[in-house]
Amino acid sequence: MVKKSLNPVKIDYKKCIVENRLLQIRNDKIVDLADPLKVWTLEINAKDSKKVVDFIRRTMQPNDPVPLMHIKRIKKADIQKKTLRVVLCSVEMIREKQCVISLLKQLGPNFQYNNLNDTHFVPRQAAPTKELVLEWSDKYWPLSWYGNPNDQILNDYTFDMNAIKLLLEQIAIKATEELNSGNCYPIVSLFVDPKDIENPIIAVDRRTNTDFTILEHSIMSGIKAVAEKESKRREQVAKRVKKDTGSVYLCSDFDVYTTHEPCSMCSMALIHSRIKRCIFVQPMPKTGCLKTESGNNYCMHNNRNLNSKYEVFQWIGSEYPVPQIPEDTCC
Amino acid sequence: MVLANVHLRHMETSLRLGRYALDRGETPVACIFVHTPTDRIVAYGMNDTNRSLTGVAHAEFMGIDQIREFVGSFELADFFEDITLYVTVEPCIMCASALKQLGIGKVVFGAGNERFGGNGTVLRINSDTCTIGRSYVSFPGVLRREAIMLLRYFYVKSNERAPKPRTKGERSLDKNNFPPINWQDYLERDAFVNEFGQDKEEHYYNETDWTEDILWDVIDKPQFTVIEELEAARHASGLWFKNKKIKH
Repeated sequence: MVKKSLNPVKIDYKKCIVENRLLQIRNDKIVDLADPLKVWTLEINAKDSKKVVDFIRRTMQPNDPVPLMHIKRIKKADIQKKTLRVVLCSVEMIREKQCVISLLKQLGPNFQYNNLNDTHFVPRQAAPTKELVLEWSDKYWPLSWYGNPNDQILNDYTFDMNAIKLLLEQIAIKATEELNSGNCYPIVSLFVDPKDIENPIIAVDRRTNTDFTILEHSIMSGIKAVAEKESKRREQVAKRVKKDTGSVYLCSDFDVYTTHEPCSMCSMALIHSRIKRCIFVQPMPKTGCLKTESGNNYCMHNNRNLNSKYEVFQWIGSEYPVPQIPEDTCC
Repeated sequence: MVLANVHLRHMETSLRLGRYALDRGETPVACIFVHTPTDRIVAYGMNDTNRSLTGVAHAEFMGIDQIREFVGSFELADFFEDITLYVTVEPCIMCASALKQLGIGKVVFGAGNERFGGNGTVLRINSDTCTIGRSYVSFPGVLRREAIMLLRYFYVKSNERAPKPRTKGERSLDKNNFPPINWQDYLERDAFVNEFGQDKEEHYYNETDWTEDILWDVIDKPQFTVIEELEAARHASGLWFKNKKIKH
C-alpha cells in the first residue's frame, strides 16, 4: 500500500480512470446506498473498553465477512453510568445469540456487560463523501472518514501497464485472425495465472464449431483450458516428471482479458472461478453484464446480492480495435 | 395426466441422484433432462466441480454434454424446446443463462438457490432481455424440503471435516424446520394453479409446501442403482432419437 501521492501509476480518482486508459467499472447505482446491516452490540463499562477493543481486533474483525473498518466501534451509552455501547460483529458472522454469549466468555469470568442484542444497524459500506458520513452517522451509527473509500481501492490495485498492453494486443490480433479465417464470432479471451504469468492461456469462441454447442463462448472455453492444464500438471507431478510448484485452484486470482463484455453466463462463470480481475475492450450495450448501463444492469461483479466479486476495467484507448459483432450476441 | 404427479416422479429421480452425489462427497445437487412429449429421460447430471477442477461443472452442464452425444449441434435448438429440466436446486445464474441460450422448454426445481439463483431468487435470467435465447417458465418448490435436507446433510458432513469449525450459525442437523417458500417471487397464482392443480391453491398464499410427508426413504438411503438406471434410460433415448431421425 503506497500513499496516494507516491503512487507511480497515474490515477484520475474523480473519473476512476487509470493511466488515461483503464476505466474502473463498478455499480454506479449502489455507491451511495448505505445498505444497512444488523450488528451485535452490547453495553460495557468504560474501564473495560481497551480489553474489549483488543478482543474485537483479535477475535472478531479477522473473521467477519463484512469488513467494518469504516465504523467507529464504540459510542457513549450513558454518560452518568460511564457505559459504552460497542459493535461486536455483523450478524452475518454470527447468527445465534447463544454463540455470541459463548464467545464473550473469552473475556473472563469477571467481565460484565448488558443489553446484548442485534437491533442496531450500521451502513454495510463506507460512505463516498463527507456529507454522507455525517448523514449516515446521524441515522445509523458513528462512522469514520478516511476519504472516498474508492480512492483507496483504486490506489491499492496494482497495474503493470506494459504487460496489460501486450496481452490486449495479443487478443486483438487473435480476434482479427479469427475473423479473417471465417469465425463469425471473433471473440477472444486470455487467462493469466498469477503464479505462471509467462504462460497465459488464450481461448477463442467455438460456438459454431460442430464439436461444441452455442455455449462454447471464449470465457467458458478458457476456464476449461485452465482446468485441463492443471490436470496435466498434476499427472506430471504424480509421475515425477515435473516438480510440484503448488496446485492451481480453479482460476483463483487470475487476470482475464477479453475482447467483448461478457454475457450473463460468462460473467457469472468468472465469479464461480474466483478470478481477481477482468479487463475488456468492447462494451456490449445489449447483452453485456458488467457495465452499469449494459443489458439488464446486472453489474455481475459488483452486485449486492452476489457477495463474490472481481475487479473490472474497460480499456478506453483506441489502440486495440476488436472486430464488431451484432449487438444481440452473448459473449 | 396430472402435471403435479409427473413433476413429483421425475424430481424423485433427481433427488435419488443427489443422494448418490452426497455419498461420493460432492455437493448434492442433481438433475435429469426429460423429453416431455415422450416422457423419456434423455440425460442426467450432478455437480462435478471436484473431479473437473473447474467451478463451472454444474449438474446442468453434465447433462448438456450427454445430450450432445446424441443430438447434433444443428438439431439442439429444436430438441431443447421439448425438454423439461428437473433439478433439485434452482439453477445458478450461469446455468440459467446457458439453459436460456439453448432454448430449454421448462425448468422445475426443488429448493431456491439463495446465493446464486438465476430463476427468481437473485436474478430472473429466464425472462430477462440481455440473455439472448428463448424465455422459459420455471416452477419452484417441487420436493423442496427433500432437496434442502440433502444440502443440510452435506453441510453437517463438511463441517465435521473442516479443520476449524465455523462459527457462522449452528451446524447441527435440523430435520423439522424449513423456511417458508415465497411462491410469488417465482410465479403468478394462475401459473401455480395450472401447473400444480387447483387443490394446492392455499399453499400459494400460505407459503407452504404442497406435498404432505417428506420422502425420507428417497434421501436417507444410499442409491446404489440410480446411475445404472439413468445410463440405461439415456442410452435407450439416444437410440430412439437416432431411429426417429433415420425414419424422417
